[in-house]
Amino acid sequence: MRNVMPKRIFGVVGVAALLLAACGDDDDKKSDSTDSGGGDSASALTVCTDAPYPPFEFEDEDSGEFTGFDMELLREIASRMDRELDVTVQPFDGIWLAPQAGTCDVVASAMTITDDRKEGALFSDPYFDANQSLLVRTEDKDTYNNLEKLAGKKIGVQLETTGETYANDHKPDGSEVVSFEDPAAMFLALESGEVDALLQDFPVNAYRATQDDGMTVVEQYQTNEEYGFAAAKDNQDLIDEINDKLAETKDDGFYDDLYAEWFGEEPSS
Amino acid sequence: MSKRRRAQLIRWAVYALTLLGVGALALWIDWAHVQDAMLRPDLAKEQFPDILTKAAKNTVIFTVFGFSGGLVLGLVIALMRLSSIRAYRWFAVGYIELFRGVPALLTILIIGFGIPIALGSRIPGTYGPGAVALAIVAAAYMAETIRAGIEAVPKGQMEAARSLGMSHSRAMASIVIPQAFRLMIPPLTNELVLLVKDTSLLSVLGVTEATIELTRWGRNATNHSANATPLVVAGFVYLLLTIPLGRLAAMLERRGKQTR
Repeated sequence: MRNVMPKRIFGVVGVAALLLAACGDDDDKKSDSTDSGGGDSASALTVCTDAPYPPFEFEDEDSGEFTGFDMELLREIASRMDRELDVTVQPFDGIWLAPQAGTCDVVASAMTITDDRKEGALFSDPYFDANQSLLVRTEDKDTYNNLEKLAGKKIGVQLETTGETYANDHKPDGSEVVSFEDPAAMFLALESGEVDALLQDFPVNAYRATQDDGMTVVEQYQTNEEYGFAAAKDNQDLIDEINDKLAETKDDGFYDDLYAEWFGEEPSS
Repeated sequence: MSKRRRAQLIRWAVYALTLLGVGALALWIDWAHVQDAMLRPDLAKEQFPDILTKAAKNTVIFTVFGFSGGLVLGLVIALMRLSSIRAYRWFAVGYIELFRGVPALLTILIIGFGIPIALGSRIPGTYGPGAVALAIVAAAYMAETIRAGIEAVPKGQMEAARSLGMSHSRAMASIVIPQAFRLMIPPLTNELVLLVKDTSLLSVLGVTEATIELTRWGRNATNHSANATPLVVAGFVYLLLTIPLGRLAAMLERRGKQTR
């Protein structure tokens, strides 16, 4: 027995070292890709998004391309940088950390700029104003016509969203906030009666209500949220470039046209 | 060179190379950076005690419900599988193939969302849908384990019991199954450990204060801190749960052998 022990320990150390080496390797790659992220014009701009989240990001059924307000806006920005979009879909929770982890160059996912998220990412200038809202099953629209009526009920939100924060801060006594990993599951939960209302960004709830007679928006909450694109914290170059091109699209009318195309009206500001 | 001598030399060469590799890596890795990215003591400390009293508690509750439900259902399916009635056997085979072949994640989603939409009623209870889904999946695996265990008990045991005048079911319940369970301890422990980890899939059904489990806890905390430390801590807590289970199973196994 005595002979065996040192070998075993040795084996364990070896494995641990390999694991650490693997981590270290990843780290290295990350800094490589973010370094080249800003200036390299030939490469595609990789973007992380939580799709489907219409009308901001979803796959067009016919072309198979990602479309929606975010995708079209960022595609235009990228094309003005002589780059193409390369879309990676990942869950929303923690998506703002993806550029830092090297998964993609930029996040475009109807994401509100918050101080918390700034801890893990660098944000572009705001490109969209949004508020929160309450969506219920149409048959319940008179019963649950505001948040207070949901006392003792379940309110569905998406994990790590500003809607989740709002719901936790403003829920009536005895109600329970249920957080879902993806928007599709959240809508299923409302449909199946697992929850009685969804609290999330107004444009998304409103779009759903226009697509689905079974759901109705009953309330809006003024939260003055602004969406931004996010990049790795050390990738100021990319953010500067995105800000430049974003300002261009606003100056030459591309932004207003796109806004009208997706939301049926001109932006208010 | 003798065979033994050569083997010895090769072994030493492997040791030396490994040591060299480890040494080089240890120098090359930026340890301070690694520690800052995934092993920050302050963040680790922040997770306690809630990660134990809330997240680990829920993981354990889901596991216990899933395992006990799966054990009972699995035993029934195993007995059906061994039954002389053809319809029972077919049902059991169908059940096992279905739930062993479909990913647990899909089963969880179908039970949590599909069935409530189709039938208009949900499985009650805070832990209800998740626990039921886990039990259904676990039962498929456990049924096969239990069947193998029962079949491994020598036929003579059943024959002897029958010749003493016991009915088939009496002999099964008091002679064969108790002996079979002793054989099943190692594979059932495996299943238990798998179940502990499968609870991490349940967050797709929606997470509340009351149902948050370890993986989700770690992920949420990582999102807030922009640091991987909470994930590492969550992994550590899983080991706190699973390693004692393995030890316990080994102890039971030893005791079983002694009494034999």
